[in-house]
Amino acid sequence: MKHPVPAVLLLLVGAALLRITLFGDVALRYVQEPLRPYLAVTGAVLILAAALSRVRDGRGDGHGPPRTAWLLVPPALALLCWAPPALGSYTAARNNPKIVADYDHFDPLPTHGAVHLSLTEFTARVQQEEAQSLRGRTVVLSGFVTPRTDGAWDLSRLLVSCCAADSQSLTVRMHGIHSPAADTWVTVTGTWHPSGTLGTTSAAVALNVDSLQRIPEPKRPYVDRPPA
Amino acid sequence: MHQDDTVPTAPLAHDDPVDGRPRTSRSLPLVGALSVLLLLALAWATGLGAWLARPDVRAWQTVCVAITVQAMPFLVLGTLVSGAVAAFVPAHVFQRLLPRRPALAVPVASVAGVALPGCECASVPVANSLIRRGVTPSAAFAFLLSAPAVNPIVLTSTAVAFPGSPRMVAARLIASLATSAVMGWLWLRFGRAQWLRPAVRHTGHQPGASRWEEFRQGFQHDFLHAGGYLVLGAFAAATFNVFVPRSVLDSLSTSPWLSVLVLALLAVVLAVCSEADAFVAASLTGFSPTARLAFMVVGPMVDLKLMALQAGTFGKSFALRFSAATAVVAVISAAVTGWWLL
Repeated sequence: MKHPVPAVLLLLVGAALLRITLFGDVALRYVQEPLRPYLAVTGAVLILAAALSRVRDGRGDGHGPPRTAWLLVPPALALLCWAPPALGSYTAARNNPKIVADYDHFDPLPTHGAVHLSLTEFTARVQQEEAQSLRGRTVVLSGFVTPRTDGAWDLSRLLVSCCAADSQSLTVRMHGIHSPAADTWVTVTGTWHPSGTLGTTSAAVALNVDSLQRIPEPKRPYVDRPPA
Repeated sequence: MHQDDTVPTAPLAHDDPVDGRPRTSRSLPLVGALSVLLLLALAWATGLGAWLARPDVRAWQTVCVAITVQAMPFLVLGTLVSGAVAAFVPAHVFQRLLPRRPALAVPVASVAGVALPGCECASVPVANSLIRRGVTPSAAFAFLLSAPAVNPIVLTSTAVAFPGSPRMVAARLIASLATSAVMGWLWLRFGRAQWLRPAVRHTGHQPGASRWEEFRQGFQHDFLHAGGYLVLGAFAAATFNVFVPRSVLDSLSTSPWLSVLVLALLAVVLAVCSEADAFVAASLTGFSPTARLAFMVVGPMVDLKLMALQAGTFGKSFALRFSAATAVVAVISAAVTGWWLL
């Protein structure tokens, strides 16, 4: 007698993993790029197991699944039909701030034009670079909007080393422009907000914003890249 | 969780040895699924949709799914290895590899944990299959604890997360090995076989059966079983991860003893995988190095998703006792090592 449920559960989980890895970049909302091929292989293994289960259990005693296996259904269905979004401002506002490592040296900035920086490098140059090369320069940053309780807002990035459960946040305080809606991805252009001594830890990690442009959410939401 | 209650069909389908399954049992999953759908439709009508779209609930869903997705490859690898060990590796192989005396087998198994570079989800089914193949449980448990804690990937990521402090890596290695060996010896002295779920004491290959078919069935059963518990653990961990404000914890970072306990507790509830926990520990700058060491020693050995996995594999009465004892030993071990090295 066939028992269809184990095969269906294996198929469901396998299909969910293939869906988020091979069809679109949904997996990158939860884990980092290097895990992606392993997730795809895992999905294929589960679908193979489901197929074998249908063939083999046809002969003899089919077993029902263990009762707890039903718990696999909600996350698998969620991934197939309604994949949860990448973490955003709710998490950024409550997270541990990411510690920006000490830079050994800073590459010289291009001599003219706006400087495109990741939030990591901007933070490091503001708080560590004794040469103060950001003084008077126009800076371009990108990230998502995290409104603050006092009406101001932060430009944020979440950084993840393994999966979204270990996210840490990087924030730059924005001055001089009203907050767009929470979680909007934006590119901002501006200059360092002078407060404290540039190049020391007393310097505020903040920007006087001249202009702002909405951008689509990047493919890898947890990788801190300078804006293109 | 309520899926479990609304679909009461699985145990029925499981045991009906005498006269086959009643005719109704195959349509019951369908009825169950339909009633769940009906309930969902009702809930949707009464505002579930709006509730699910709240920012905190969305973050909860993301973290929950992330923990599950991240652990899947490791869980499948672990159940494949454990299925293969059970079906293909003869029991006497392990008797030759491990010292005869269990007291000596424990530290050997601890050190052997270095060889399984996976996260903790892989080591639970593997330890289970080792016990089925006649490895003394104390050695299997030492392996279970040390495998996710001291493998090369974890030590490398610790070195990367704490640049310029190789003592942190050494302290993590020593404290983790010590904890796993002590837990093995404790089990040897105080452990009782009846705490383990009976299935754990089954043997592997049955004469006359197809090894490949045993492998396939073992994999299917172990994966579905452990997978369900993994989701349960992810639910719990995501709940703490999203809803407990970090500021509560930070306010406790002043007292040295309290801070060790607080970070040990944080490791249990966050359920960050062992390859990433060093980065989280490095970010907890308000806390002493010893407290952060405790976070990294406890995390791979005791956390909510791991407890759920152990409860599913070895039984609830085992998981509770073992996790509690491991947490205590790990905190002491981290405190002593931290006092000595950091």
